[in-house]
Amino acid sequence: MHGHKTFDSSALPRALTERPRILVQPLESMAAVAETRLVTITINDVELQVPKGELIVESVKRLGLEIPIFCYHARMKPVGMCRMCLVEVGFKQPDGSVRKMPKPQAGCTLPADNNMVIYTDTEMVHRDRKGVLEFLLVNHPLDCPICDRGGECPLQNNTIFYGPSTTRFTELKRHLPKAYPLSQYVTLDLERCIQCGRCVRFTEEISGDAQLAFRFRGSNMQPSTFQLLDFDSKFSGNVIEICPVGALTSAKYRFRARPWDLETSPFNCLECSNHCSVWFDHRAGKFVRMNGRTNEAVNEEWTCDKGKFGQDWINDSNRSVKVMVRKGDAFAESTWSEAYDQIIAAFSGGHCAALIGGKQSNESLFLLGKLFRDGFKSNHLDSRWTRHLTDDALKLAPDTIASLEHKKTILILGTSLADELPMVFLRARKAWFKNGTQVLNVTAKANEADAFATQSLRYDEDHEADVVAGIRLALEGAADDAFALVARRAQVSAADFRAIAKELGPDTAIITSRSIFNVGDAGDVLDGLQAIARKTGCTFNCYAVNGNDAGAEALGLIGGQGSLNTREILEACVNYRVKALWLFDCNPFDLYPDHHLVNDALESVAFLVVQGSNSSSLTPYASVVLPSAAPAEQDGSYVNMEGRLQRGKGMLQAPGDAKPSWRIFSELLLRTAGGTPYFNPSEILQAIGQEVPSFAGVGDGELLKSAVAGGVTA
Amino acid sequence: MSLDLMRDVAKPILAGFGITAQRLKKKKVTISYPDERREQYQRTRWRHYLVRYESGLEKCIGCSLCAGACPARCIYVEADENTDQERYSPGERYAKRYEINMLRCIFCGYCQEACPTGAIVLRQNFELANYERKDFIYTKEMLLEKVPGEADECYNRVPTIR
Repeated sequence: MHGHKTFDSSALPRALTERPRILVQPLESMAAVAETRLVTITINDVELQVPKGELIVESVKRLGLEIPIFCYHARMKPVGMCRMCLVEVGFKQPDGSVRKMPKPQAGCTLPADNNMVIYTDTEMVHRDRKGVLEFLLVNHPLDCPICDRGGECPLQNNTIFYGPSTTRFTELKRHLPKAYPLSQYVTLDLERCIQCGRCVRFTEEISGDAQLAFRFRGSNMQPSTFQLLDFDSKFSGNVIEICPVGALTSAKYRFRARPWDLETSPFNCLECSNHCSVWFDHRAGKFVRMNGRTNEAVNEEWTCDKGKFGQDWINDSNRSVKVMVRKGDAFAESTWSEAYDQIIAAFSGGHCAALIGGKQSNESLFLLGKLFRDGFKSNHLDSRWTRHLTDDALKLAPDTIASLEHKKTILILGTSLADELPMVFLRARKAWFKNGTQVLNVTAKANEADAFATQSLRYDEDHEADVVAGIRLALEGAADDAFALVARRAQVSAADFRAIAKELGPDTAIITSRSIFNVGDAGDVLDGLQAIARKTGCTFNCYAVNGNDAGAEALGLIGGQGSLNTREILEACVNYRVKALWLFDCNPFDLYPDHHLVNDALESVAFLVVQGSNSSSLTPYASVVLPSAAPAEQDGSYVNMEGRLQRGKGMLQAPGDAKPSWRIFSELLLRTAGGTPYFNPSEILQAIGQEVPSFAGVGDGELLKSAVAGGVTA
Repeated sequence: MSLDLMRDVAKPILAGFGITAQRLKKKKVTISYPDERREQYQRTRWRHYLVRYESGLEKCIGCSLCAGACPARCIYVEADENTDQERYSPGERYAKRYEINMLRCIFCGYCQEACPTGAIVLRQNFELANYERKDFIYTKEMLLEKVPGEADECYNRVPTIR
């Protein structure tokens, strides 16, 4: 050790300190880049091989060591702003001695190279860390007892482990506005900021909206929005999580709980079809907050604001808690058995249908299908609410979210990705930022993807079919005259079509969403895009948008092929062919574009079951209202838009009489078709695996069979 | 064995009365509780109080550190934000709900130790018996002293004996 005293660190396994040895641990990232060269470095007298250029702050993790950090974040570029990760660095000389650099170096900006010698545990390093923390704490207020970050704060932790135990600073601290609302979700406390730049870099590198920047210099430096406007980002919630102090806190979580008050469980967000992995924090049986959970396949560690801040309905006072049955003109509280009797009387005979929406588990959906087919002898179920309804069966997308990262070109057509598929948006942006993927953003209106798209093409709204036709013409090499009609209708020039078509190739992914089925001539759009995919050899993804829509489709809960689809069901209600309708966790007024038809249908149908977790405007139409549990209140599995099956566990107690939907259907199934009832969701998932081929043998976090094998089946 | 009236009956009784007679000279150890009460040691840890500043503002800032330190997990704190119109404590945060389950409490005093503002204190008042289980959940209204300084005096209001 050349005269350097090393401190025995309990973090360092004894076996590693005693005997230097070579460790070769090819990480996944190394496998991806085949030509990565390995270099030999020495950390605390342990020799190991790491890829050349790997940052030292990452290399030490291979030995189970840790370097304290604030500004460094593995998913963002290092900036070396906080100086917390200082290490001693030297180089091995040919004679075997180590020549040290005179000053400590920041481990987060130091790439590994041959013969590098790192010390993370010397007296000097310890003194430096103490000094850095003392400086950081000079202006940091002693807010910890009332700070929302207190208890899970990196600054607290690092100070306890590496910092000074007392303060020498007796002068006046910096005073700045407290609890400044950056947006409706994010609260900024400037006194607490340690100027690490994580939030600023997040908006620049990850979300790409570049909403935050630093103002002023030195100790006056503060993150802020431009011209002090609202922090208007669709991913703003993430900066709360990555802030290493309590400077950025959640306005919704403000003073709601301390970390040690909370119970947390892994959960999948169901606010859109991406199904981000999250931590679901609850206290005394109530939902409190949601944070991102690392899942490289889906959300890495990010969340979108729609999901992170959109879970209030679980605690809402309008939760449906009682079984209600219509008696004459009035609604009366009732029992499950009375409701079941009425339902069975009304639904038996086959003139019945169900419309499905929202965030229901595969188990519930499967049993609903079984109940209708076996119990009620009807096959009229539909989970789709778009204007255009295809008869096609399973249509899962060939590209997973993660695979988009390595595409050469991504064509976004007719969807605002940041709104509809936030994690696809982040992945597409990462593909552009890290791997130089070309992004072509072809949408009617400007949106967030324009910021990084190599080409943005605007067209006249509702003319997607013409745009697709134009691209097809360009692929076929048509002359200018041929474009006349589509160019005039879509307000796009032939040159623009050609510029888009030129980029399409086998390594291209076309991305659109199910909301494309709401535009005029949606069938033509779909056919056209499939034709383009066939011609260029690229992949075509038409991702589902809502909750567990992909799961409902995979389970065959869509109309067509002899059964009525959504529109036909509503029409059949109007002309009395459907006598009993089941609305399963959906409000057609919110979901279906034709409100007159919905109103007529709900008024005409003789018997209407409204089942859901929250009471809605549908109650006046209902014959029976059934309260059902929210996803967080029941076990269940869900399929996201790439076809990934993810299981979730119930954590909360359902309020009042509410039951998990699968249990309601299981009980009804027992009363109608008989047989052995299902007792828990695992049993049902097993049954799904036996009856639905695409689910057979699919484990938690795996892709459905058809999604792996398939691509689009038209 | 014959019974000797003098030796076996009268003498032990007289000896017993003798002990009683000697005790009469000494100071009485019993007190007539609850009319009189014994003084408690200064640092005796019994009933909790939430104390106020001289200004009348609550010392408690709702930080929940007491709940975190509590080994019996008997403290429940719900915080909220002070406004200029409705101010309970100095600073941004105050305790909207503060409950202690006295049945679970082991009177270890860790809450008092953890409290950054000295808001929760354990005082000498040990008379905590009650009839209903639910009455052992002490709410914030019960714990909070009505006027500053009440917590220190509450026990001494009844005459105590040294």
